[in-house]
Amino acid sequence: MRLRWLLLTTFLALVMSAANPAPAAETVWSGLVIADNVPEPTAAPVELKKFEQTLRELFGYNHFNVIGESSKRLKTGEEDWLASSKYFSLRVDSRGETPAGYVLDLKLFKEKELLLETEAKLSKSSPLVIKGPQVGGGQLLLVLIVK
Amino acid sequence: MKTFEEKWTAWLDGQLTGKELDDFEASLPDKAAAEAEKLEVQKLGTLLKRELGARSFSNEEFFSHQLRERIARETAQARDGAKSTWWTIPRLVWTGATSLALFLICAFVVLHGTKPVEQSEYLTQILNMRVDPAVSPNATISVFETTKQDRVTVIWTEGLQSLPSDYAAK
Repeated sequence: MRLRWLLLTTFLALVMSAANPAPAAETVWSGLVIADNVPEPTAAPVELKKFEQTLRELFGYNHFNVIGESSKRLKTGEEDWLASSKYFSLRVDSRGETPAGYVLDLKLFKEKELLLETEAKLSKSSPLVIKGPQVGGGQLLLVLIVK
Repeated sequence: MKTFEEKWTAWLDGQLTGKELDDFEASLPDKAAAEAEKLEVQKLGTLLKRELGARSFSNEEFFSHQLRERIARETAQARDGAKSTWWTIPRLVWTGATSLALFLICAFVVLHGTKPVEQSEYLTQILNMRVDPAVSPNATISVFETTKQDRVTVIWTEGLQSLPSDYAAK
């Protein structure tokens, strides 16, 4: 009889916790990625693993190399950060949180030259990939993911 | 002074004695017929005692019988009453808990069932995008989402200035 009550209570607690997930601070990963074709590609960075196949099919490259990255844990939803490589920098200005994710201002610079500017609502369930300029035999990609 | 009927009844019951008995028997017009009638009455009394004795109760026995009958009747009624009441407290509690659990399961299933629709609203949205026309005058921008499960939102640019491989440095 006690075991039944325990099981029932546990079950109800699980159902309640699943129905009302507690809000938590989330991390946005932003990366500058060079996609190219190499004879023996190494494993994709862990952040890209989930959609590596999609990237391969979209851009036609078999190798993805992170040249600059930043992981920012958002607490207020209004933080700024920078992911940069030697020549490129991606400036991210978070302008607030929505139920679906975060409103971000993105600016891609080549050294001090602004190449691209975007305002996006980054969803927790949908990574954002921006096709940047051609770099040598490869392609610069900007990737933003809510972890 | 006793009447004849009273003396007659007492004589039949054998309760007359002594001079009273002698006087009464002397007053009978036909003593032989009276004796015969007395014998018949006694036989009848014996018969009645034998036949009715088994069914008759003494006061004590009758009271006990009534009491036992009443207890049995009330016990049966109480048992019948308990049987007919299915909604005992533990059953009520269990039924309530089960109903609540079923409701939560249904709510959970319904909420999960509607999630795919909500998810499409929760894709990354591009509110604004711009390429510096001075740097890349022929650049074009388009946006699409992949139909795969990972639901990647892509900003696809064309016509950006190509750069040498040195720019791939970390």
